[in-house]
Amino acid sequence: MTAALIEVTNLTKEYRGIPAIKNISLKFEAGKVHSILGENGAGKSTLTKMIAGAVQPTRGEILLDGKKTTFPSPGDALKNGIAMVFQETSLVPSLTVAQNLFLGDEKVFNRLRGLYISAQQLLQSLNFPVDPGAQVSSLGSAQRQMVEIARAVRKNARLIIFDEPTATLTPEEKQYFFDLIDRLKLRGVGIIFISHALEEALAVSDTITVLRDGEHIETGPASNFDREKIVRDMVGRDLSSQLYDQETKREARPYGEKVLSVQNLSMGRMVHNTSFSVYSGQITGIFGLIGSGRTESFKVVSGVVKRNFFHGGIVYLRDKLVRFRIPKPAVQQGIAYVTEDRKVEGIFETMSVSESIGIGEMAAAGNKSWFVNRKKMNKSAEYWSKALNIKSIDASSSVLELSGGNQQKVVIAKALVQNPQIIIFDEPTRGVDVGAIAEIHEVIKGLAEQGLAVVVISSYLPEILSLSDRILVSRQGRIVEEFSIEEADEEMIMYAAVH
Amino acid sequence: MNKFLNGLTQEKIVFLLFVIILVVFSLTLPGFFNAGNLVLLLQGISVLGILGVGLCVVVIGRGIDLSMAATMALSVAWALQLNINGMDLYLALAIGLGAAMLVGLINGVLIAYAEIPPLFATLATGACVYGFGRLVLIHTDLVYVTPSVGNLRFLGQGRILTIPMPVIVFAVIAIIVGLILRYTKFGRFTYAVGDNQETARVTGVSVRHVVLGQYILASSVAFIAGITQAMAVSSMNTRISDSLLIYEVILVVVLGGVGLSGGRGGVRNVIVGTLLIGTFLNGMTIMDVQYTTQNAIKAVILLVAIIADTMVNPRDEQTSQHGDI
Repeated sequence: MTAALIEVTNLTKEYRGIPAIKNISLKFEAGKVHSILGENGAGKSTLTKMIAGAVQPTRGEILLDGKKTTFPSPGDALKNGIAMVFQETSLVPSLTVAQNLFLGDEKVFNRLRGLYISAQQLLQSLNFPVDPGAQVSSLGSAQRQMVEIARAVRKNARLIIFDEPTATLTPEEKQYFFDLIDRLKLRGVGIIFISHALEEALAVSDTITVLRDGEHIETGPASNFDREKIVRDMVGRDLSSQLYDQETKREARPYGEKVLSVQNLSMGRMVHNTSFSVYSGQITGIFGLIGSGRTESFKVVSGVVKRNFFHGGIVYLRDKLVRFRIPKPAVQQGIAYVTEDRKVEGIFETMSVSESIGIGEMAAAGNKSWFVNRKKMNKSAEYWSKALNIKSIDASSSVLELSGGNQQKVVIAKALVQNPQIIIFDEPTRGVDVGAIAEIHEVIKGLAEQGLAVVVISSYLPEILSLSDRILVSRQGRIVEEFSIEEADEEMIMYAAVH
Repeated sequence: MNKFLNGLTQEKIVFLLFVIILVVFSLTLPGFFNAGNLVLLLQGISVLGILGVGLCVVVIGRGIDLSMAATMALSVAWALQLNINGMDLYLALAIGLGAAMLVGLINGVLIAYAEIPPLFATLATGACVYGFGRLVLIHTDLVYVTPSVGNLRFLGQGRILTIPMPVIVFAVIAIIVGLILRYTKFGRFTYAVGDNQETARVTGVSVRHVVLGQYILASSVAFIAGITQAMAVSSMNTRISDSLLIYEVILVVVLGGVGLSGGRGGVRNVIVGTLLIGTFLNGMTIMDVQYTTQNAIKAVILLVAIIADTMVNPRDEQTSQHGDI
């Protein structure tokens, strides 16, 4: 075995005492491609960010050429030859390729001509067909990635980390990207490759590591793995599934009325020509990996994001053709969206529990009354606090003081008070403590039994399996597969979700 | 200690400061603590207070309105000019108010629909209002109040039970705006939009209409402040558009604890801020501090108030707790 370029031992990262990465020890070698695979939240990004200095480990060591080091910032990591290429590139769009390549290293008297000549030489040595004088904003994704890689090479990077590099590339660009990886390998550069695309990982890697729930599951040469084995390693659960229904083979709730019907919906680059329906009286689970367009489809339906005019599609709410440009009419016609990102678009941090719920109620009431009925507001706050078991000192305590789970319940109450026909839960238990997860699940099930059309979007398979009656799988901006709960199992769903 | 600090809001700190300064001035300055001077003090800050009440609506909605001084000066001057030219007083006033509301509407459209940052949008409209007004509508710096206004003068110079009318107008406007903020849907939505515009939108609040309403309300209040001012001093000087007036208004709003980050504070904070500044200015005038020195001191207080504001009401809770990454 050759000497490791970088080695991590017992690396642990905790966020507020909750481990995101537990005791991981790995070796990364020069001239090899090492893929790190795992579900969303398995800890792939956290691990690689620690190696690149963007995140500081709580415990554990990073060894560079066998010597213990710490990287207080990404800049320090870069000086030691470790570069990370993010999915969203960190180039300055308004500068030229050459200027971007030499950004931060300009001399006092910066001759542009000299810059272009050196940039040209660098790009040629890598055999990248990019014009150094072109503005970065005019380049496509693949070319931007080339610039980013050229920058890493220029800084003499010995290890380059790619986080989901192929997600935005066309098939041709992908092929080009893999050729490039081969060339980097020949130069002796070590590569860490993070991807959801299992076939790609299998094809390009020398070594594969699978992570699950922050723990190291298996590392081995790529030839030891195949698709089935990776999927099994990715989803195989023991402890974490205790919370969820053990017997996944349960009866689905009967189909109700078709409440929502979406046909050929498209939006920007995230949603491509997707079609699906949602029925009342049951829970429709939407599973997909990050970037598969699952959230975006429903944000379009509920008016939270505006549909791109040129892409179009049709949405029927019951039998009515609807097109919401803002959430207000959607809310008033009975579509409520419970966000995945509480902090950004879920809570009012200066308000109390009752004021927050009151805003929801007033927004749904339309223009009937101009005035606030404080008595009614407090009453409904009291009702919902009891119904959802919101634990606060009283209804006038600030939302900001509550725990994550109780904040989430306030967000849910704010939506339920609007009396929706369809309620969309996007990652309903993200950042929620274990006790509250069970309570929120009970609430969601109760809503379906009351006859509401419930949609649950989640990237956590056990959650989908324990809640849903129907499971729709989203991949690359489109619903690609539908399962009933009777037939579905984790591996089938994961199979459909990866490509 | 921490608990003590947590209980101490900016409003309480400022009120405490106000009481301390009041006591210190009463003990040290001859002629400060007598009924006549205190009434004068209140009268002196009424117009500032009215403007502050108007501005606080916008600031709660996480905006700012720098055009208020120009709107106030030009809309009132135009109304007076129309009256001087022979138009019926009430029609002239209605036109003036309408013009002020139009400026508010333009501000709102620029900010809510064109999505221009409020600072720049209102800076530009303020300059436009002054420029357009002086070019087309009013040809002198000063527009005098003529006897044709009749009983309206009472609004600036009258007294009810020895309390000067401007103080009463201030109180009435404060109560009305306070009630609007607390007991109408528009008021609650203003807090919601200022707290978190995205959350408000997702919850189904029509954010743009609420923003329009805020700026129209602020401009209308500016017009009322202007009328009160003009009646009190018998003229309207359009030059106050260029003066430091608008910064003093921001000072009283921010000083009292209406957070520039939106969603926090209310009319009560403006009153507290106005009282502190009023006392301070009155004391300095008695001490015969020069006008320029007074301005410098005001500027320092504004700076300190804004720094205190960002510390007490950080724009991002996460950053304040963990420090910048």
